[in-house]
Amino acid sequence: MVNPATHQKSLDLTEVLSTPSGGLSGAKRSPGIWLGLILWLALVAGALAWMSYHTHRPGPTTAAPAYWPQNSKIARDRKVPTLLMFAHPRCPCTRATLGELAVFMAQAQGKVQAEVWFLKPVPAPYAWTNTDLWQTAAAIPGVSVHEDRDGREARLFGAETSGEALLYQTDGRLQFQGGITESRGHAGDNDGRAALAALVAGEPLSMVRTPVFGCPLFATNCRVEGDVGKP
Amino acid sequence: MRTTATVLADETSRRTRELFQQAQTNIHLRTDQLFARLMVFQWLAGMVAAIWISPLTWIGATSEIHWHVYAATLLGGLITGFPIFLIWRHPGAALTRQVVAVAQMVFSALLIHLTGGRIETHFHIFGSLAFLAFYRDWRVLVTATLVVVIDHVLRGTYWPLSVFGVLTASPWRWLEHAGWVVFEDTFLFIAIHQSLREMRGLAERQASLESLNTSIEQKVTERTAELTREIAVRRQAELALVESQALYHSLVEQLPIKVYRMDAAGRFVYVNSGFCTMKGLPAEQILGQGIHELDPPALAAQNERDHEFIMRTGETLEREDSLPSPDGTLTQHFQVVKLPVRSADQRIIGSQGVHFDITQRKLAQARLDELNRELVDTSRRAGMAEVATSVLHNVGNVLNSVNVSSSLIAEKIRQSKIGNVARAMALFQVHAADLGNFLAHDPKGRQLPGYLVNLTSHLEQEQAEQRTEVETLIKNLNHIKEIVAMQQGYARISGVLELMPVNELVEDAIRLNTVAMDRHHIKIVCELGAAQPALLDRHKVLQVLVNLIRNAKHACEEAGRPDRQIRVRVVDSESRVAISVSDNGVGIPPENLTRIFNHGFTTRAEGHGFGLHSSALAAREMGGRLFALSEGPGQGAVFTLEIPRPPTKVNP
Repeated sequence: MVNPATHQKSLDLTEVLSTPSGGLSGAKRSPGIWLGLILWLALVAGALAWMSYHTHRPGPTTAAPAYWPQNSKIARDRKVPTLLMFAHPRCPCTRATLGELAVFMAQAQGKVQAEVWFLKPVPAPYAWTNTDLWQTAAAIPGVSVHEDRDGREARLFGAETSGEALLYQTDGRLQFQGGITESRGHAGDNDGRAALAALVAGEPLSMVRTPVFGCPLFATNCRVEGDVGKP
Repeated sequence: MRTTATVLADETSRRTRELFQQAQTNIHLRTDQLFARLMVFQWLAGMVAAIWISPLTWIGATSEIHWHVYAATLLGGLITGFPIFLIWRHPGAALTRQVVAVAQMVFSALLIHLTGGRIETHFHIFGSLAFLAFYRDWRVLVTATLVVVIDHVLRGTYWPLSVFGVLTASPWRWLEHAGWVVFEDTFLFIAIHQSLREMRGLAERQASLESLNTSIEQKVTERTAELTREIAVRRQAELALVESQALYHSLVEQLPIKVYRMDAAGRFVYVNSGFCTMKGLPAEQILGQGIHELDPPALAAQNERDHEFIMRTGETLEREDSLPSPDGTLTQHFQVVKLPVRSADQRIIGSQGVHFDITQRKLAQARLDELNRELVDTSRRAGMAEVATSVLHNVGNVLNSVNVSSSLIAEKIRQSKIGNVARAMALFQVHAADLGNFLAHDPKGRQLPGYLVNLTSHLEQEQAEQRTEVETLIKNLNHIKEIVAMQQGYARISGVLELMPVNELVEDAIRLNTVAMDRHHIKIVCELGAAQPALLDRHKVLQVLVNLIRNAKHACEEAGRPDRQIRVRVVDSESRVAISVSDNGVGIPPENLTRIFNHGFTTRAEGHGFGLHSSALAAREMGGRLFALSEGPGQGAVFTLEIPRPPTKVNP
């Protein structure tokens, strides 16, 4: 049963703003609507563009040692390539990175030794690193999780952004440096994971570098670069 | 010319479109409301997700609120705000749902971003498309799909990784993503099409039902109007019937008539109050009763015969009845009209009658008749007086002659020579002894024979003269006797018709006036044809004729002409007898011809104006007429008495 009042109202509005077939003729009588629409579209488009731009802007990186540094306390595997990942235990963007890592580990089928080193600033509370990211990483088969006190190892390997991964071949040669997400905190296929997979699969690739998307591991760099790289 | 069916079909089609549009509008309104709630919910959900997933961003050991939280709040609010505004201000409008479609797809992008590109979040796009299909407007899905395509094309162009995840992806890979959207769109388009078709079918059915309902309502309205009119007409008819009944009741109950109605068996089934009064019984005691139970035997028998006659013939009867009044003190007279009672199919189912009380009329008629008789008697007496006057006048005249004759006779007797006979006889007695001597020698004796001869001659003359006078006297006395006897005879036989010779009657009338005519030197000329005896009232005819002759005599006297003449003429025919009395007297002015028979009209100083009036009445009583003709003053006049001969023989 159609409410007559509603019916009347809808007919009036239909007359003002549209036709029953969905035309916009009525809007011609309301230029404010069009202006509002255009403004709204512009704002939304701009916001989305800014969001995409920000999402796809990589964090700061420094070239990692071409060979496994001797002063590192991390033990390199001599049988299979070693994948190192430096991460911030509280960076939300790294959640996608760990997801991609899990995919990669599943694809690697034990052909790689993976270790995730979570930054633990000094001083920091005792369980500061015990986050969901830690649990996630620890749950990935073939991945070992470690604390990187005060970012010593990260610094040693030149990692500045959470989620930066390094693949060293069994001979200690750096084969890969970069992120394994296509944008900040965005899961999905990406060049970094694909390259790792190819390298682990034994494809003869040269050194591969990909952008890293994540939180800065160290504040100093941030200050130097302003808000660039802020997740 | 458009037929009624075409008009109805067009109207149904128009109504179908209207209902369909109403249904669409309602769906748009409802879906707008649904999306208003959904968008607010997903905005809140986005903020919760942002706070839950990425509340903070970290730089080393320091943290601050993650920009996702701001994006979810501000950008989410921006995306949600405008469509909410449109839904609030312009619900149901096409622009509103198009903006909703755009906003929903953009919000999908926001949510995907907030959730870190989780593949599960992409279901928001497909779920939103399904929700947008609630509008049942394929254009909304096109808009949403276009937003997805544009997003993919732009980001594929500028940030291909963000869309396809790999740098090596085909530049047409956006088609794959769009294809899945179109894949869903296809089903949704089909669903929308089917839904719209069902809606249109519902609208058609509803329009048909409404059309049918309208038609029924129209018929009901028309029928109601007809019924209203019929009721009004019926009420009017009932009112007219009530008025008619009141009129009927007024007429039947209040008019001085007595009405009854009987069924075929002769039982009273209706009587009015007048009838009850006439019978001296209440209606309850009359209704259901038969004829013989109410009326006296003789009247009942008559009424029964009348009833049977009417039942048999269907004719109307009219008669007069006389009834004793209920208290028996007087006799009531009624004129009764009896007629049949017929059913709707014209069968005779009874009889009815109306009694008009004519008692008063009868009494008045009787009184009138009595007065008329008195008038006639008065007239007759007046006429007789006229005749008597005439008779006495004639008798007086005759007595004059008698007196003259008797005087002459007395004088003759007194002067008679009969005494000389006695003296001669005395001479004879003295000379009886010597009679011869005496006669021969005595001078007296010798003169005596001659004297006796002269005396005898003288006495014979005297005797002849006395005989003549005596005969005249006897004749006059006989005349008187005849006049008296005639008067007595007319007086005695008045009002009786008798067959008698007309001429004789005319001669009697003339004879009654003979002396007067002689004295006034008026010549009477009679033209009596071979008239047949006629059936008439001798007295009345004589009365009329004596009047006419006497009036003619007066007219002649007044004229003063030397050749006074009255002509009496009898003209006889099969149908009538006409007796005319004409004179050459003073005549009658035309203005008096019409008044001359009026009572009291006269032109003579000594007249009383009754003679011609009573004569005219007498003529009328005999079925005839009396009329006058005159050429004018000095031209004389003719009065004619016409007496009809009755067609059938009537015993005198």
